[in-house]
Amino acid sequence: MKDPTASLVLAAHLALLSSISFGGFPTVLPDVRNLVTANGWVTDREFADFFAISQVVPGPNMILMMSFVGLKLGGIPGAIISAFATFGPPCLMYYTSYRLWDRFRDRPWQQMARRGLAPLTIGLVIAGGYVMARAVDNSWQSAAVTAGAVALMLATRINPLWILLTGGILGGLDLL
Amino acid sequence: MTQTVAARRVEERITLAALFVNFLKVSLLGFGGGLVWARRIVVERQRWVDDHEFAEILTLCQFMPGPNIVGITTCVGSRLRGSIGAVAAVAGFILIPWTIGLTLGGVYLHFTEFAVLRNTLGGLSSAAAGLMIATGIRLLMPYRSRQTALLFAALAFTGMAVAKLPLLVVLFGLAPVSIAIVGVASLRAP
Repeated sequence: MKDPTASLVLAAHLALLSSISFGGFPTVLPDVRNLVTANGWVTDREFADFFAISQVVPGPNMILMMSFVGLKLGGIPGAIISAFATFGPPCLMYYTSYRLWDRFRDRPWQQMARRGLAPLTIGLVIAGGYVMARAVDNSWQSAAVTAGAVALMLATRINPLWILLTGGILGGLDLL
Repeated sequence: MTQTVAARRVEERITLAALFVNFLKVSLLGFGGGLVWARRIVVERQRWVDDHEFAEILTLCQFMPGPNIVGITTCVGSRLRGSIGAVAAVAGFILIPWTIGLTLGGVYLHFTEFAVLRNTLGGLSSAAAGLMIATGIRLLMPYRSRQTALLFAALAFTGMAVAKLPLLVVLFGLAPVSIAIVGVASLRAP
């Protein structure tokens, strides 16, 4: 490992942050950035690149992004402990709370909570898609791709991969 | 009376390999939002849980820290096969994609300047946004006859997308009101 101490400090910090990252890991990204740039472990530019790459590569983006930071600091072992620090604590919390939730499944209060909360969650999902669309759709053509994707996904059982691929090709041909 | 978890587990034992492979798919396909794929594979293809239960798991995950999609993976794995199932699902979700991603990432670092790559990503992102919106609409379908549910979905959407409030504010601001209304309604019902 290039710098074992730095790798461990990073891992401890990531474990703490992942335990409080309500609303997903992106909410604590600014904090990670401060830590790693203030210590001179990673430059601003590198941090931005790590973010871009983790969005390009399919799979667990934020885990991957933190692994790139870990990789820079401590090679492969650094990448591995960063990954565990990022997903381990939340996984345990998800597991424990799901078990508890499941145990009280038939209680009236839980049924009320479920019926009250689910619509909020769903509204947030749609909002997530909408906010993303607002951020990336900067022409009527790209907005049309988004609208077409919504329509196809709702009206057909087509594999979404084709929809993504079409969007990618149109973009690559500079038509959007 | 709904089937208990235990009863269903005996009926159709889902293999750990199936959990691993299907969450591997969710992960690898999950470009621009794993939620779309998680719902498609878990609800539509495998029929492991229905839309109601999926929305319920998603709800639980939104109130917890960490990546929601990893939470969905953990909960579905746990729902179907207990703790070992959660481990299989999470391993499927992370192990191989992480290895590929870390390898590809090093290569990609050198190509982030290219316009073609950026444009392709832009087009993909536009389509991905549409898929995300459609997934939300699909999840809303079981609630379409409940006006208050539609109202609160609209309020959550507005708080997040229009008023741009922090997620925690939206969730903890609307949740008590929404639950209270359901509570009052169920007390009135015979």
